[in-house]
Amino acid sequence: MTFMALAPLLAVVAGALIVLLIEAFLKQKDHELPATVAVVSLFAAAFFTVRSWRLELGYFGGRLALDPLALLLMAVFVLIAAFVVLMSLKYASRQDINLGQLCGLLLLAVAGLMIMVSSTDWLVVFLGLEVLSVASYALTGLKRNDRASAEAAAKYFLMGSFAGAFFVFGLALIFGTSGNLDFAASLSQVASPYGLPVASAVGLGLILTAFFFKIAIVPFHMWAPDVYEGAPTPVTAFLTIAPKAAGLVVLFRVLVPVLGHSPSAVIIGPAVSVAAVLTMFVGNLAALRQKSVKRLLAYSAIAHSGYLLVAVVAGDGPSLVFYLIAYMFMNAGAFGVLVAMSGKGVEHTSFDDFAGLGRRKPWLAASLSVFLLSLAGFPPTAGFLAKFYVFSAAVREGHVLLAVAAVLASLVSVAYYLKIIVVMYMQDAETDVVVEQENPALYLVIFLCLFGTVQLGLWPGNLLLLIRQAFFVPF
Amino acid sequence: MISNVPIISFVTFLPLAGAILLIFIRSESVKTVRAVALAAALLTFATSLALFFGFNGASGLPEFVERASWLGRGLDYHVGIDGISLFLVLLAAFLTPLALLSSWRAIDDRVKEFSFFMLLLETGMIGVFVSLNLFLFYVFWEAMLIPMYFLIGIWGGHRRIYATMKFVLFTMFGSLLMLVGIFVLYAAYHKATGIYSLALADLAAISLSPAFQTWLFLAFGLAFAIKIPLFPLHTWLPDAHVEAPTAGSVLLAAILLKMGAYGFVRLGIPLFPQAAATFAPALSILATIGIIYGGLMALVQKDMKSLVAYSSVSHMGLIMLAVFSLNFVATEGALYQMLNHGLSTGALFLCVGILYERTHTRLIKDYGGAAARMPVFAGLFLVTMLSSAGLPGLNGFVGEILCFFGIFAANKVLTALAVSTVILSAAYLLWLYKRVMHGPLKDPEDKRLRDLDGRELIILVPIIVLIVFMGLFPGTILRKMDASIARYIESFRNKPPVAMTLNVPGRPAQEATTVAELER
Repeated sequence: MTFMALAPLLAVVAGALIVLLIEAFLKQKDHELPATVAVVSLFAAAFFTVRSWRLELGYFGGRLALDPLALLLMAVFVLIAAFVVLMSLKYASRQDINLGQLCGLLLLAVAGLMIMVSSTDWLVVFLGLEVLSVASYALTGLKRNDRASAEAAAKYFLMGSFAGAFFVFGLALIFGTSGNLDFAASLSQVASPYGLPVASAVGLGLILTAFFFKIAIVPFHMWAPDVYEGAPTPVTAFLTIAPKAAGLVVLFRVLVPVLGHSPSAVIIGPAVSVAAVLTMFVGNLAALRQKSVKRLLAYSAIAHSGYLLVAVVAGDGPSLVFYLIAYMFMNAGAFGVLVAMSGKGVEHTSFDDFAGLGRRKPWLAASLSVFLLSLAGFPPTAGFLAKFYVFSAAVREGHVLLAVAAVLASLVSVAYYLKIIVVMYMQDAETDVVVEQENPALYLVIFLCLFGTVQLGLWPGNLLLLIRQAFFVPF
Repeated sequence: MISNVPIISFVTFLPLAGAILLIFIRSESVKTVRAVALAAALLTFATSLALFFGFNGASGLPEFVERASWLGRGLDYHVGIDGISLFLVLLAAFLTPLALLSSWRAIDDRVKEFSFFMLLLETGMIGVFVSLNLFLFYVFWEAMLIPMYFLIGIWGGHRRIYATMKFVLFTMFGSLLMLVGIFVLYAAYHKATGIYSLALADLAAISLSPAFQTWLFLAFGLAFAIKIPLFPLHTWLPDAHVEAPTAGSVLLAAILLKMGAYGFVRLGIPLFPQAAATFAPALSILATIGIIYGGLMALVQKDMKSLVAYSSVSHMGLIMLAVFSLNFVATEGALYQMLNHGLSTGALFLCVGILYERTHTRLIKDYGGAAARMPVFAGLFLVTMLSSAGLPGLNGFVGEILCFFGIFAANKVLTALAVSTVILSAAYLLWLYKRVMHGPLKDPEDKRLRDLDGRELIILVPIIVLIVFMGLFPGTILRKMDASIARYIESFRNKPPVAMTLNVPGRPAQEATTVAELER
């Protein structure tokens, strides 16, 4: 119980406040000072996160506990936030976005995410979720002159608020029946033949619904494509990765005890499996028909939620975290390339804009190809290994059919990921899209993502070691 | 024998090193790019010769074994070669430089990318053959798709995008189900022994319950059958072959198709012997249908490349029929025939490529009397065809006769049907030869039909030399295979009937862990 447990969180929140303060006094909208401050505060948060490894810090009577899982996820959040800030530097001025606001909101969202993953208390998680949500609604609507962005923000806000209400109502039911706010304790009493008291079961169902909303699980995914497409591209990269990661980790913490021992697993297990299968297929099949690369990646993000849910069903933490980290690199990289493709006031995301990119921008096209092949799950990239671990965990736990469904869904995904590569390499350009040359920060991000994608596919040794330590699994 | 040098790793990753080196060369300097790629491929071949000469083969066990921990939990880097894989590695290392050389004129767009993908493909192909760990095998098996996808898709013909997508999706469909099979084996082995392992030797040592074997054999078998391709899963092959650039066709026919057959010999049959024995009759019938169907289809093709492609379906059918005969002679014949098919079909594609480079048409009716203008080419083309048709004295005869002996021991009716391949292949090949090379010159004014130049001679002559050598001295190669094949046959002959079962993992709560004991 030391105050140091709050250090990463405080670093981020302090950064957010400073950024917003500076922003108010800056004359120039696209000044890079807020971004610098944001990166510094993220560095500080990273430092405190790494420092807390294995110290088992906690605060607020253990309500906020930095267990290894939470720390791993916090590192992911810090990294993706840093990527997003770096991606936005030039992008913000080109798209007329206020960089200071973007950085401030982003840091607040990270604070919410950190709260979410570092607690097993329903209320604290809700607090984190709301902090995250409010920040992400605003982030989505940052392109003030773009109607799609505004529409996305409104949609996200409405849907998100509903989900929040579901959460609170479910929480009330659970707290009402158990008198306890801790995940495990509140769901551990046995009353009916199916384990939980009816009210608790309904409450759990409502809470699951709320989380399924947040991580875009079919049939609660309707908002996702529009939001992901309408949001500024770096924000989309953030939204497809970070909230999903946090939501899945919370789901993991809630569901694994329920699925493992409780009799209610008979209902919840199949329900979650069906949701996973639906998500994979709906996401992938819908992506097949898209004409815009950004929207295609939005649907692919939904499909990946499905794969990740398989890891939750299998109850295998290490593979879940590994998948999340691999997904962060490959997805952030793919969106990074989309950012690189954006021009002044426009985003070039249609297939035609990508035609012949392999000739015009060989490096960009090659990077995007690697990310897409990784998303499709080709070895020797991170995406393959991630899928390998998740699906093999599912088979190990007896969900063979689920694994078969998952690989068939990946087969569908291969078709559309390769379609982009076809366009880039095997078709000739009709329009000549101007790609900004000078953007070192963005290229650094793309390079790091490329490095991560390849490194985690070939030698993920140390990361695997860390993850297995976090779950106390022998190597 | 050199024991400390990791020769296999060198052979496998030299092409990859060459490919990485290529990245740093400016794509404008085409000559340097070509030279570096060729040098990397030749160096790989030279290194692979060390495997040939160093290989002992008396024990039948994998030699040159390298094993290192990679991802932990049984996912190791574990490579080695035995008599079954040695020659396929050599074949891949031998044909890649020739394929690279053959495209010096045909490919003049994006040469750097082309050479890069060719070298990548070589690493993938060799990797599949040397892997002794199922995970590693799968990694190479899948990774190899990517370069082939680009090779067909970028440098292919008009319908290249359709062909390459079909190729990838077909192959992926099979291999993803195989991946689930791998998961199941991985989980079952762990459950039974408490150890994580995907080493082939470990997996072959446990006995699986018949039902379990059936499912897994189907999962693995589908992946291999698509790759071979076994009738009726062959539809991707003519498309891919016709659209691929010459170099791609050569490697596709010579090496990639062999992976399916190799997969059965290395994995499908040794790991699931009972299921293999159960399914062998059905698969043999499919293989026989493939032989006849492929031969008849080849007869009516108008395009030279698709003729050769269908002849591959036919020849691979014979190889599979021999593999499913499950006896020593047939297996040896099948392996020998795999090498023959690699050489002769590879050479046929090269010959078609040489004609195409001159006239830019592959339609048979556009040719006629080419022998008059290209006497040297005509001779080499003829030898290649006769090798493919199985003329005594050339390599094809040795392989076919071994196959037929073996198949005869297993099933006389199918042998009678399968022998038709000899007639059919002679018919479609010689008829092709007659229409293209003999007769009056189609267009006497056409000056484009030049005879072979030095580069093309360098490509074809080594293959022809090997074709003749393998026809006259098959012992050089067969004796290195003997022990490994004997071991392979013994491994599933002597596997006792299953005393204990290893079941599909069920839900952990209900299922009592079943026990399997290790044999040996």
